[in-house]
Amino acid sequence: MTTLRRHFGEQAGLGLFLLLSTMVLLLAIAAGTGIGEMSIPLDTTFLAVTNKFGWTAVELDPIHQSVIWDYRLSRALVAAFCGAGLAVCGAILQSLLRNALAEPYVLGVSAGASTGAVAIIVLGFGAGTITLSAGAFAGAFASFAFVALLSDGARAGAGKTILAGVAASQLFNALTSYIVSTSANAQQARDVMFWLLGSFGGVRWPEFQLVLVVVIIGFLICMYFAKALDAFAFGDDAAASLGIPVEAVRVILFGVTALLTATIVSMVGSIGFVGLVVPHAARFIVGPNHARLLPTCVVTGGVFMVLADIVSRVILPQQVLPIGVVTALVGVPFFSVILYRSQRAK
Amino acid sequence: MLSVKSVGALCGVMLPLALSLAPAQAASTVYPLTLNNCGVEVTFEKAPERAIALGQNSAEIMLLLGLEGSMAGTAFWPSKILPELAEANDKVKLLTVESPSLEGILAERPDFVAAQLLNLLGPESKVAKREDFANLGITSYVSPGVCVTNSESGDVHGARDQLWNMDLLYQEIDELSQIFDVQARGQQVIADFQAREAALRAKVAAEGQNLSFVFWFSSPTPADDAYLGGKNGASGFIADLLGGTNVMQTEVEWPTVSWEGIMATNPGVIVVADLDRDRWELDKPEAKIEFLKTDPAVSQLEAVKQGHIVVMDGQAMNPTIRTIYGAEQVAAQLEELGLFQ
Repeated sequence: MTTLRRHFGEQAGLGLFLLLSTMVLLLAIAAGTGIGEMSIPLDTTFLAVTNKFGWTAVELDPIHQSVIWDYRLSRALVAAFCGAGLAVCGAILQSLLRNALAEPYVLGVSAGASTGAVAIIVLGFGAGTITLSAGAFAGAFASFAFVALLSDGARAGAGKTILAGVAASQLFNALTSYIVSTSANAQQARDVMFWLLGSFGGVRWPEFQLVLVVVIIGFLICMYFAKALDAFAFGDDAAASLGIPVEAVRVILFGVTALLTATIVSMVGSIGFVGLVVPHAARFIVGPNHARLLPTCVVTGGVFMVLADIVSRVILPQQVLPIGVVTALVGVPFFSVILYRSQRAK
Repeated sequence: MLSVKSVGALCGVMLPLALSLAPAQAASTVYPLTLNNCGVEVTFEKAPERAIALGQNSAEIMLLLGLEGSMAGTAFWPSKILPELAEANDKVKLLTVESPSLEGILAERPDFVAAQLLNLLGPESKVAKREDFANLGITSYVSPGVCVTNSESGDVHGARDQLWNMDLLYQEIDELSQIFDVQARGQQVIADFQAREAALRAKVAAEGQNLSFVFWFSSPTPADDAYLGGKNGASGFIADLLGGTNVMQTEVEWPTVSWEGIMATNPGVIVVADLDRDRWELDKPEAKIEFLKTDPAVSQLEAVKQGHIVVMDGQAMNPTIRTIYGAEQVAAQLEELGLFQ
């Protein structure tokens, strides 16, 4: 790994790596668009996309045209951006909290979003006026506010913030269980489960527009603070001595990760382990420098999520496996390796 | 979809009217037929020929209407097919017993999709939204039962403030029979159900007793609280149909209750559900009966000591066409137990 790191240590090497991995990402998105339950010839797939760009005007089967453009391509792109967003959140939180096991959901955001969504599904709160996504978003931010309050705006230190996140997760998971067990039937509990594990099934172009804007803005803000994030690795005092406004930066970055996570969870449900696994994988490749780490997280997270989504769609005929099942099945072994290595390092 | 709420309310008002008019004219459908379904105007140019049924109840209604020749596939089956429909159902492709994928549905090149639940076809569905089909010129239909309940405070699965009845089911059968131009068959199915409901009520009125029922769906283990059918759901309807009451007086559709709580209600008859699935230790009726008879406390219940335990198809506890079958199943056993005079 160290030789690899040295190899990519220079900017040119990083540029080449990012170029290659962006190509891999594009290939993955192309595969996500080409692979599906319905067997659609490759040339049709290609033409369906070029038709929509206005480059060709070939008469296609409207079902093929719609499946390729409206479902597969939008879905693959949303998957890519969600993967990128979650990976960036993971990298940020691992640095801010100086904890290798931190991930977006450590702040209880996912638990809060779940509670919001379940309240909408099961209790039918304001059905018709408040959508499920809005409920999830509200829940996510309620949880974030709870954590901010408990940890004194994340000023109380990394350990306290994680504890506050754990408390928020417990609280909101308990609320979810309470709602489900008091008012759901077996079937509905299953719907909730499916929602909680996440799925790209419902996404279309409007979701893509939203996730595109949020992830790009979030990413740019994080990149702006890349140097500050490097300094955080040496502790708050060290960062402060370098002239970094520690508290302000921390609040801004927590806010960005909360916004990113809430947006993604409200759109596709909670998808675990991407935010945990991808930043570690990215660090193995390009090292801990955030100016390099964050772009690497974007492309690696994107590729991972698009591939996971393809697996979730094709592994069972005629039905879709929750994406969280796939990411966790890949993520848990990886997580175990990280744990094992970190133990050995001590 | 903005007007779902108002249309839902409107449906409730107009339903009795629609039903009273419908039987008189079992004529053939004049196409194009336009229906207002859950707030969406759907126009049918001709009877569908490649219909997809999402959800067991939608599929079973179509099969009752003899539409197996016009069906391209079914999906989402919580339990086994009604035995008398099994042969017809074999002619229809089963996409999956779980939630299908949109591509899997489209691959069958459907011209019509009917869904039982909003999570299979609805604005928040992970499977499909109605616009997905409308954009491809595929007509869609959502069970009126779910759009009414979802638009009002009482969610179909959460709680309802009024006792469920068969009216919305009859509306669904009537509308599907119009869509497929099998109105005579549709009216026959409705009349058959109404007659069976009336027959049960008459029999109970003449010979029945005011019994108190508990409807036990399942429990994960004997130590866990039991999942019961609530007051206003299909279980409450069955209790009412049989001239009795559901001991569970909560409006929650599926209350989870401890055995101490159940014993406190001292039910006259214990209805144990027969589930197809085998996920929980007490899913099977034999396991439930074994528990009732061997648990030191529960076995002291009067209903257990007297053997007033009846088995009912678990699917009947969901508000579907199976509910009336469940009521008949229970009635037959009550008669055997001598609980009818």
